[in-house]
Amino acid sequence: MSWLSDLLGPLKGFLVPLRQIRKGPVTRKYPQVKRVKPQRFHGRHTLNRYPNGMEKCIGCELCAGVCPANCIYVRGKDNPPDNPVSPGERWGFVYEINMLRCIFCAMCVEACPTQAITMTHLFEMSVTNRDDAIYTRTELLVDRDGTPNYPPHEDSPLTNLEELRKGDGWMRATSPSGRREYEGIVAWTPSARTGELPAERGQSSGTPQVSEDADG
Amino acid sequence: MTSPIANWSPENQERANKILATYPEKRSAIMPLLYLASLEHNHASNEAMCQVAELIGITPSQVRSVSTFYTMFKQEPVGKYLVSVCTSISCHLLGGNEVFDSVSDAAGVGHNQTTEDGQISVEHVECIGACGGAPAVQVNYELIEGVTPDKARALVEWLTQTTPAVVLADEMQQLFGGQRSFDWGPAEHAGAIAPVPAFGPYGSAGGDQ
Amino acid sequence: MRSMPPSKEGRQPLSDTKNAPEMVNITINGIQHEAVAGERVIIAAEKAGEYIPRFCHHPKLDPVGKCRQCLVEVEGPRGKQLLPSCAIYVTDGMVIDTQSDVVKKAQKGVLEYLLINHPLDCPVCDKAGECPLQDQTMTHGPGESRFVEAKRKFKKPIPVSDLVLLDRERCILCDRCVRVADQIAGDPLITFNERGNQTQILTFPNEPFASYFSGNTVQVCPVGALTSTDYRFRARPWDLEITPTVSLRDTVHSNAEINTSRGRVIRVYGATNDHVNDGWLSDKDRFSFGAINSDERVTTPLRKTGTGFEEITWADAIDTVSARLGAMIGTEVGSIGGANNTNEEAYALSKFMRTVIGSPHVDAQLGDGFEPQLAAAVIPRAKIDDIDAATTILVWGPDLKERLPVLYLRVRKAVRNGANLVVVAPTRTGLDAIATHVIRYRAGSGQDVIRKLANADKSMTAILETLAEGPVVTLFGRTSIAEDPRLAESVAAYGRTLDGAKLMPLLQRANVFGALDMGLAPNLLPGRISTTDTDASSHIEETWGPLPDALGRDTAAMLSGAVSGDIRALILVGADPVRDFPDPQAAEKALEEAEFVVAIDAFVTDSSRHADIILPAALWSEVEGTVTNLEGRVQVVGAALPPKGQARSVIGMLNDIATSMGAELTSFDVSVVSKEIATVAPAYQGITRDGIVFTSSGAGIVVPSQEAEIIVEMAPRYASMAPDAVPTEASGSAVIVPAQGTQPLGYIPTDQAVPMVTDRYTLHYAPAMYDDGVITRHAPSIADLVRDPTVGLNPRDASILAVANGSIVVVDGSVELPVRIDEAVPEGSVVLPFNHAATKGLQAVPAVTVEPIRDES
Repeated sequence: MSWLSDLLGPLKGFLVPLRQIRKGPVTRKYPQVKRVKPQRFHGRHTLNRYPNGMEKCIGCELCAGVCPANCIYVRGKDNPPDNPVSPGERWGFVYEINMLRCIFCAMCVEACPTQAITMTHLFEMSVTNRDDAIYTRTELLVDRDGTPNYPPHEDSPLTNLEELRKGDGWMRATSPSGRREYEGIVAWTPSARTGELPAERGQSSGTPQVSEDADG
Repeated sequence: MTSPIANWSPENQERANKILATYPEKRSAIMPLLYLASLEHNHASNEAMCQVAELIGITPSQVRSVSTFYTMFKQEPVGKYLVSVCTSISCHLLGGNEVFDSVSDAAGVGHNQTTEDGQISVEHVECIGACGGAPAVQVNYELIEGVTPDKARALVEWLTQTTPAVVLADEMQQLFGGQRSFDWGPAEHAGAIAPVPAFGPYGSAGGDQ
Repeated sequence: MRSMPPSKEGRQPLSDTKNAPEMVNITINGIQHEAVAGERVIIAAEKAGEYIPRFCHHPKLDPVGKCRQCLVEVEGPRGKQLLPSCAIYVTDGMVIDTQSDVVKKAQKGVLEYLLINHPLDCPVCDKAGECPLQDQTMTHGPGESRFVEAKRKFKKPIPVSDLVLLDRERCILCDRCVRVADQIAGDPLITFNERGNQTQILTFPNEPFASYFSGNTVQVCPVGALTSTDYRFRARPWDLEITPTVSLRDTVHSNAEINTSRGRVIRVYGATNDHVNDGWLSDKDRFSFGAINSDERVTTPLRKTGTGFEEITWADAIDTVSARLGAMIGTEVGSIGGANNTNEEAYALSKFMRTVIGSPHVDAQLGDGFEPQLAAAVIPRAKIDDIDAATTILVWGPDLKERLPVLYLRVRKAVRNGANLVVVAPTRTGLDAIATHVIRYRAGSGQDVIRKLANADKSMTAILETLAEGPVVTLFGRTSIAEDPRLAESVAAYGRTLDGAKLMPLLQRANVFGALDMGLAPNLLPGRISTTDTDASSHIEETWGPLPDALGRDTAAMLSGAVSGDIRALILVGADPVRDFPDPQAAEKALEEAEFVVAIDAFVTDSSRHADIILPAALWSEVEGTVTNLEGRVQVVGAALPPKGQARSVIGMLNDIATSMGAELTSFDVSVVSKEIATVAPAYQGITRDGIVFTSSGAGIVVPSQEAEIIVEMAPRYASMAPDAVPTEASGSAVIVPAQGTQPLGYIPTDQAVPMVTDRYTLHYAPAMYDDGVITRHAPSIADLVRDPTVGLNPRDASILAVANGSIVVVDGSVELPVRIDEAVPEGSVVLPFNHAATKGLQAVPAVTVEPIRDES
């Protein structure tokens, strides 16, 4: 009997791929086909502006302080009184994130008191030079109209401006004070590009919206 | 060294010296001296505060601390007549606010403001201790009790037209006052010549009692 | 003139430890504790381990009970009462509850109240992260506020001085800054203004908070209301690395901590050492760190070329220096300076000169101090703590407020606590306002005052009565650089005769006492040994090898030797004789004439630009080691940063030069050098850097003087700069004055002739706190605070010269400055600022000429 089982054993094994053929491929043709990411996906950061074009970042360094990977470097400066960069006294004149060190934990987003730094859906950030992995204000800061920048590889098929536009609203389900009665109420300062977005549905309602277009 | 108050009038210089002699510690003379300086400068101006500071050997900053704490040391120039209308509880209940409105309307200026000709300043004040004769008004801290809005208007007009050199409580009470809480008795002093309260033994209209 | 008259009675002692002995029993939260009678409850509780939240309480300031945050329940005859624990004092049997529900409710309520108007702009506030209001809101405060009304609005930061900014919105009116300005600094220039909801701290219009101690208000502010201009938005507290050190801007050596972030010194904060500085710093201590970051620093070795300097390598520089110095006879080389360095560096320099070079010509003073042996080993020497304990304090020396500001605070504190103060100086000093007696004398006639004091002249009766109340601490030094240095010796001798006398020498340059203790003086060897003390010097020779026999030259003699050719090479160690030596032109000539000049310096100064080679030196905050202050306390300075560029510590470069010359100097390791000092230098026996770090619990170790009875004998006078010391010599070249026999240093004859200067105009020539010193000039925040120079004249002299305030006069034919008529200037004296750009080049001579400039038209 043993010869029979020896013969059938491999055939049995072939049944597995045969069964799988029916089911179609698991993999996708990335980058031609991209998977829909969950709404709260942690991708590349952006530095946002208020609708009037002022920078939200006040250079408080709380993001740098809370960063577990120690990858953020911020320095503050006095706002020029006649031409202020941000509301208030202080603005962040140096803002750098070392993306090679970043672990995309979003602690910086949690810590930011002005919601200046948020995360987007873009995760493709391959570089050919270590220096390019340090994102500065030039790359992180959105334009005055809210258009995000994505150097240093502008023409890459991997990067997608739309992915950089996604995000920003992911924290909306949680009220800033953590109180249940504020659930679903917008407590998010408007950004240049997003404006007043509808609130994300609450976590406790049981049906979190996964594919809401944050770009409204 | 020249005295910091060398440009004061001789009487006021003499008074200042008397005040200084009254207190064993010079610093204690700060408030009467500030009144005197206000008399000399119309209000507790920066110059006045510096003079007082030099006189008693403290910094102008310390003088300013005292001076800005008390509302009766005026930080801004005041008119010749300071009309203070009480709007504290008793006067308020008996129409103090209406009296104030009428004064303000007649003078054409609001609280803590002075007419353009520098004649009349208007303010509403906290209790001036005349609750029995409410509503009460003071002109240069000379008291009038039982004032009505109409009489208040007349008072302002009287001040503008007659411009008395000395305002006397008794005289004004007779002209514009109403019910008094009690009889004041014979006149005790010579009235007020400037919007600075009387202090210590020295009457505000000049001359020691 | 401005400050409050010190009241002698009814004040609580500022220091809670002064009346220490009596102990009482108190109960805190049901547990029995012992407390010092008369101590504030909040302090007693803290000692017992119960932290009570507070804002207005500060152990060094009088209590005011303003913030009400420290409310506790105290049992009294009418039951438990809520009382502010900072303003009540412990009594026997006191029962205190700091944890009850009532207390907690009260504390929460007060915090909620304080936060009504406090803006929640913590993310932009410099204090956030080290803010007592933030911390105590977290620990003792309510989570939320019931107040929804709009907060008070003021204009965001207004400058109250050039160094301090005020944000009135953040102020919680705790009165700390006002009390520091009034009680500690004696400059009550900031006060509460207005009242009620509008209460705010303000200065008088156009009268800024120009105190020398304004930075302390920033440090004591419990919120971010007061911030310093040069730290504004530079870093966050969690970025900062802290290095404990002492400040080297003067000889008090105030304890401080250097805060660095990303390789730059960001700020300097005071650290508390009750034996030295009580936690206070002067603004010069605090804000002069900008020089460390200066772009003008020398960062590579430089060689002089025809047109300027060229950068060379260290190897090149060391080879050049060792070759040039090696080609000379030892006694042809002299070293000037070393007072800005650590003890270890000074020791290395002293050893380098005396063994490797073989020259006795070393001097850390630039002719601006006095007899080195007196400075190093005066007996009986006062500690700073002795000032607190003194009944009478005699100050006869430089204006403490300008030159030794933290010592000024100490004297002020003693006077506030009831001590008598006698100030003797030619003109107004910062201490006059609180002095019991002020003696002013015409500059150059100080000897007359001593004579009158010593002979109990009738005019001095009242002063002598005060001086009879011992113990008396005498602080002595040169009142001005134009004054005869021997006058200070006479003052010391007079001070010794007073009841319970203790003496404190006042020299100002950084670590000059440490340098003298390390033998950087022509007549001193390391450990306060006289060069003539053969027993002690043989002990040094055991380690060092033979010492040079020749008599050492001081700075004056070295400079004149350079002109005459006796001295061929000069080593300048952080010294700028062209600016600091009393005769700047002579110094400049000497540096030009000298065959070879090496400057170990951090900047190209008026002196080091004459150098053939400049070796870049590390500055304070870049070197570690020990330093010795004016009471002989050895403390540790820390290295917060690596030296800028290729700069090095003096030990390293001297070691390399010695090696290149085929000799061995000492270790590169500071700890090892320190141990070598502890074995070689007798007075420093057992005092090592590591020992201080690990055993002195931050207080430092005072070099024993009278306790150990170290006998120092007066060496023969070395070549002296004083022109009348060698009356036969007109040329000014160096003359070695023959030995006058050895005398115990403790004895200095009072009648030693210090000649009276009888010329028409005598010069009082003293620097202000912000002078044209190389560090001040390169520190951006304080460089602009240098006052406009004036010529101070007595009104009678002014009328004789027919000049008014602001008229221009010519002093000594060279300096043209406006006149300031001042009654505090004695008749016949002329008061000029030393080390000021405007008086550059003026010779510090006792007598000058003054001529008005007449309008030609």
